[in-house]
Amino acid sequence: MFAEFVEGPFWYFSLGVFVVGVAWRFITMLRFGTRRDLSVARASAAVGALRTNLSRFLPRREVAGRIRVPVVAGYLFHLGLFALLLFAAPHVEFIKNHITGFGWTPMPHWAFILASEAAFIGLLVLWLHRVLNPVTRLLSRADDHIAAILVFVVMLTGCLALFQSFDGLRVTHLFLAELLLLYFPFSSLMHALMFVPSRGYTGASLGRRGIHA
Amino acid sequence: MSERFEQGMSTLRKQMDARVVSYLSSCVNCGVCAEACLFYTETGDPRYTPIYKVEPLRRLWHGEYTFWGKLASAFGFGSTLTEQDFADWEELVYDGCTMCGRCSMVCPVGIDIAYMIRKVKEGLAAAGYSPDDLKSAAQRAVEIGSPMGVTLATLQATISVQEKECGIPITMDREGADYLCLFSSGEIVGFPEFIGSIARIFKAADVSWTISSDYFEATNTGVQIGNSAVAAQLIERIVSAAEKLKVKYVISPECGHAYTTIRWDAPNIIGRPLPFDVVHILELLDQLRREGRLKTRGSTDMHLTYHDPCNISRRGGVVREPRHLLDMVAPNFEEMSDHGAMNWCCGGGGGVSTIERARDLRTRVFNVKKRQLDEIGVEAVVTACSNCRHTWEDGLEAYGPEEDVVELIGLTELVARYLVEDESRAR
Amino acid sequence: MTAKPAGEKSQRKPHIGRWLVCLLAVVLVVPLIPYTFADRGNVPNPGADLWREVRQREAPVTGTTQVKGVDTGVLINIRGEQWRQFRMQTLLPAGGMVLGAVVGLIALFYLVRGTIRVPGGRSGKRIQRFTEYDRILHWSTVFLFYLLAVTGLVLLYGRFLLIPLLGPDGFAVTASACKEAHNLFGPLFFVVLVLLVINFIRSNLPKWVDIKWLLKGGGLFGGHASAGYFNGGEKIWFWLVTLFGLAICVSGFVLLFQNFDQGRQLMEISHVIHSSLALLLVAGSFGHAYIGTLGMEGSLESMTTGSVDANWAKAHHDLWMEERAAKGLDENAAPSPEQQSPPGKTAPGYQT
Repeated sequence: MFAEFVEGPFWYFSLGVFVVGVAWRFITMLRFGTRRDLSVARASAAVGALRTNLSRFLPRREVAGRIRVPVVAGYLFHLGLFALLLFAAPHVEFIKNHITGFGWTPMPHWAFILASEAAFIGLLVLWLHRVLNPVTRLLSRADDHIAAILVFVVMLTGCLALFQSFDGLRVTHLFLAELLLLYFPFSSLMHALMFVPSRGYTGASLGRRGIHA
Repeated sequence: MSERFEQGMSTLRKQMDARVVSYLSSCVNCGVCAEACLFYTETGDPRYTPIYKVEPLRRLWHGEYTFWGKLASAFGFGSTLTEQDFADWEELVYDGCTMCGRCSMVCPVGIDIAYMIRKVKEGLAAAGYSPDDLKSAAQRAVEIGSPMGVTLATLQATISVQEKECGIPITMDREGADYLCLFSSGEIVGFPEFIGSIARIFKAADVSWTISSDYFEATNTGVQIGNSAVAAQLIERIVSAAEKLKVKYVISPECGHAYTTIRWDAPNIIGRPLPFDVVHILELLDQLRREGRLKTRGSTDMHLTYHDPCNISRRGGVVREPRHLLDMVAPNFEEMSDHGAMNWCCGGGGGVSTIERARDLRTRVFNVKKRQLDEIGVEAVVTACSNCRHTWEDGLEAYGPEEDVVELIGLTELVARYLVEDESRAR
Repeated sequence: MTAKPAGEKSQRKPHIGRWLVCLLAVVLVVPLIPYTFADRGNVPNPGADLWREVRQREAPVTGTTQVKGVDTGVLINIRGEQWRQFRMQTLLPAGGMVLGAVVGLIALFYLVRGTIRVPGGRSGKRIQRFTEYDRILHWSTVFLFYLLAVTGLVLLYGRFLLIPLLGPDGFAVTASACKEAHNLFGPLFFVVLVLLVINFIRSNLPKWVDIKWLLKGGGLFGGHASAGYFNGGEKIWFWLVTLFGLAICVSGFVLLFQNFDQGRQLMEISHVIHSSLALLLVAGSFGHAYIGTLGMEGSLESMTTGSVDANWAKAHHDLWMEERAAKGLDENAAPSPEQQSPPGKTAPGYQT
């Protein structure tokens, strides 16, 4: 009965909250508006927005030496997670059946193992860094920890559900993933989408000054 | 809650815009910004983490505009801002931040933290929680026309001395001149040779320029303290002076924040485009060099480096011009590690050098510049900001008179030393 | 039924029943007598000889099979039974006893000795001991180790302890999930262990002072034992973790990646190494965890905050402190900025 709830109404509810919630966040953000910059531009703001959106994927040389651990762990986690989300065989099936109607070639089993290992160790080290570094320890709030733990548990149950045929774990994974969808629009997980306008605004504002931000 | 605090909160609320919301929604508290900020790296105190300085704005946004914040408030246990928070954050925001923007360059999600710190200052200032030294400086700027209390008489006396030294008349209030030059009080008082240098260069390059007796101050204490009304007032004086003299350009002198203010922020502060173009002195000198109007002979063999003033390079966009100029007159030029747009701030800009109680902190964070200096072991440091120069002087003095004496030179003055004056006149 | 006077009814009939029973017994038993003394002769189980032959082989003789592969020619693996016996009769009980004994001894030690306080009390002066990287490595190892330990213990002892709690179906899911988690996180433990070893090995090279420290019992029972950055006990733990840990990892890889022609014998040996060393390491970890938390005041913060109290350092790692003093490192050691004032609150008169 729980399985039916999770695969039925709760799935639609959580998906709905996710879509509406994310849209709501973007709409309210845009509605605040920005004042037009009346200064005379030296270079293109649009080019700056695009440039900064791409350049911030790599740390600047001047600071890279100080942030090696979070950068390495961060990339292991994010790349592993995206690989799992988009190319794990059960996900491809799920997306095909429930969202897009079409699928694509999933990754082979060994790649799945590698991606999940990378994601787990990345997230673990990232969270330990958060707790052990005095700066992140001061900054971090409940939201940051809940997001980390929730993602970890979703990934864990996902891996366990993949390997064995007990349906209970698959349902648990789906349930936790739906909780994650519910949590997403109201948490720092929104950075996954908000980073684009964030980098864009800064890139535009500094880019028009001729600065490669 | 006091009326002052309410005023502060209401001002802080007005600071919200789409940029701020996108920034606060993207921050995951990764702490990378701290590693770029000299106030953190040199003290090890996590409270100087750039995004932490923005906490009052974040808490306002969280409490009044987010789901969890509004839910918590509805049930009576939100973490709403209190007046004590304003009091606590004053030191972090004013003493511990120059708005140099180095943090904004490294944030992985592209947050312009310096932009938000400027906004936090508006809220704190409106509530009265800004350092007394800055308040007095702002008052002097409004009443006297200079945060240091430099009067027109002082300027005229200084100009007079410079005229005698360089042998060139400097005409004030010349209507129809192309360029109106502003000065920072720090320059007038500390490095008046700047005035003589530009007089000689402009004579040799045939640049028509003038100074306004109505208003000459380049720095904007309104921006430093975070009071847009004062900032606008001071900008309007520049606009009036420029309009009265019908100039085409206003020159921003050797001062960092003055440049970003007049070049990039001013039209937005007064709400309309400026009726003139703004050019930094270094931009103008480089233009003259390109046009062949600025000629030099000889050079210094000093082993020297260039300290990029943050608001000229990183926030202003003027990075290559000083290097072109240095190429002309200083062949033995070596860059510091982390230079150009990613230089380390001197720690004195944005009003910090005005705050007496921040002296110890400023001295401590200057250590990063000392380290950069020791790495390359130069004889001189060239810079293009009088405030940076003062901060460098204070910093080097604090780190031991037994150190080898490092000379501090203004870039315009250095170029003027090797200026070819006679040839250019005969064209 | 109402009781009848004893013996009343049986005296009425002349013991007929008893005689009939005796006659039945005679009829059934007597014909067996000649069988007892008769020659049984050879009436063999047709397959018995073959199986005896096969099972009693001293060395595994491989026969010929159509399918060629490792162990395909082995019909019955007698060592399998030996291994199973070892696991059930030796490993499990011994492991349980070792774990129980260690916990018991630690509890006893704590009851008798209590938490060992910092001699002379805390000074308030902080000394930097472990970098953030040191601590991240340590706690990643802890997390992975205990995840593997718990899942591994479920695989060993789960059927005895969890089936009563969860029922057979519940246990099936749990054990299966534990096996998968164990297999998934094992390789990560290897990676983190290697990084940990590389990071800490130089500080753990044995020196004479460590032998002396060990002979003095580390000062645990009174007296003082000098130590450098790491003392003899810590170094022993490091080397146990390194050697046992790597052996556990290697044997674990043998067990996990089964497509490399490992025969049954290799798998059995790997399992024995893997599980016995793991049990010993878990037991040892209890001691390490005890000392680092309850056992010695001032120890845990070295691995959480990265700094320790100067008096703690002088008491437990005096030679390390002497080295630091020689380099002039601790002259200006001040309270950490975080200790000065709570976040956001400006302390009166900010101190450098």
